[in-house]
Amino acid sequence: MESLSFPQFEARNSQVSVALFRNVANSGALKLRIISASTTEGDLGEAEREAVKFAFVDARLITSKLHLETAIYQAILADSQGALRTRTVHSEILYLLNPTHNITEAIRRYGVSETSTDVIVVRVDSPDVTPDEVQKKMETVVEATISPFGELENVTDWASIKRYYKLNGEVVIKEAAKNPPKEHAIIDEIVTSSVAMKSVMG
Amino acid sequence: MSSSTASARLLASSSLISQGAEAKVYKGTLTPGGVPIVLKYRFKKTYRHDSLDATLTKARVAGEARALLRCLRSGVNVPGIRMVDASEGILGIEWIEGNSVKHLLPSGAAEDVDGDEEVPTGLHAYTLEDYGLSADTLMGLIGVEIAKMHLADIIHGDLTTSNMMVRKASSQLVLIDFGLSYHSTLVEDKAVDLYVLERAFASTHPDSEPMFASVLSAYGKQVGKEWPALRRRLDEVRLRGRKRSMVG
Ligand SMILES: Nc1ncnc2c1ncn2[C@@H]1O[C@H](COP(=O)(O)OP(=O)(O)OP(=O)(O)O)[C@@H](O)[C@H]1O
Ligand SMILES: [Mg+2]
Repeated sequence: MESLSFPQFEARNSQVSVALFRNVANSGALKLRIISASTTEGDLGEAEREAVKFAFVDARLITSKLHLETAIYQAILADSQGALRTRTVHSEILYLLNPTHNITEAIRRYGVSETSTDVIVVRVDSPDVTPDEVQKKMETVVEATISPFGELENVTDWASIKRYYKLNGEVVIKEAAKNPPKEHAIIDEIVTSSVAMKSVMG
Repeated sequence: MSSSTASARLLASSSLISQGAEAKVYKGTLTPGGVPIVLKYRFKKTYRHDSLDATLTKARVAGEARALLRCLRSGVNVPGIRMVDASEGILGIEWIEGNSVKHLLPSGAAEDVDGDEEVPTGLHAYTLEDYGLSADTLMGLIGVEIAKMHLADIIHGDLTTSNMMVRKASSQLVLIDFGLSYHSTLVEDKAVDLYVLERAFASTHPDSEPMFASVLSAYGKQVGKEWPALRRRLDEVRLRGRKRSMVG
């Protein structure tokens, strides 16, 4: 698990933990649990919402650590300005990763689903919660072990990303098609920049 | 900007590298120890009406970000976008480690007193040779990059040799400062863009004529069939410019 600190944000949002889980066994159940947590009432509902208070991101659609961190940054920034377009800072991350303004679509595409085997788990929290505690909480809900983030390069599904971002028609992408590392670097820069400027996308 | 916002604290933790009429440019990081980025801050104009100022600032930040993304999608070398806080007037972009073209070309003696000199990057002693480039090759890179931008119907609006950088790692030419850019398909707008650069070359670098001729030759090859019309229009724009300066 990796930790990042953002001292410019208020304490409750200034510590971020990120982990890549591979070979996730319970993604279908996890998805159902997230959905039911949002509607369960009473103490049980509280406890369930706390248990799944993460962004669960399908790792196939992430191009790099910078891509993900850019979405995290813009989500916390929107929260600090009372400008969230979704209910929480965690769902905002999924919203920002998707190129359209459709929230349902963002969660369907970028969130965990029955078919997810590689899942990136993100927690935005206060520095009062120790990294060990956060990691334990992640490992309690996700049935898998944490892998080095660098393994992302074996996971990214470039074809889907090109489709979602409508990049197949771009000349620069066609020209780089025979040189995958170059093509991937170009796509990574385009999607990272798109996430960064989504608030002014128009 | 209120000093209590996240972006105000971000700027406070960054170092000022350039102060323009419209914007202050900082070098900083989003997280301690993170990769450096450039933060371009369009500060409040005290003489402008508050809500008008806020709307204009937002539109400027949005415009610059959209132009950069359009360039990236068209394969034009520009800095990537890293954060946007339009309500505070801040655009965060990739830090280009390298030098401006202005720094790498011989400059007139009277220059460098306008405060527009190189940012403190530790690369101030770098020369063209350190990049493995000849002046002529560099002119070719400039022509190609501007042509790619114009083929994507983006007008830069402020083409100067300080708004172009060469990356240290790859010797790639990178266009920066899209604060005045706009979208246009018109031959006239592209020709004026080139003319602005020609004037900038003439006023910044001695003996600039053969250099600018190399820029145009590479530009012409890259734009292809549109070139004859563009060249003719550039001649007209030059003539208008000359007439205007004769009238005073
Ligand atoms: N991405 C970058 N990487 C490194 N340095 C940069 C970058 N962007 C800008 N700079 C430096 O900061 C200076 C000012 O940036 P920029 O031209 O975007 O701002 P500006 O306020 O429009 O400037 P001016 O009014 O002087 O043209 C540049 O000339 C360059 O030296
Ligand atoms: Mg400039």
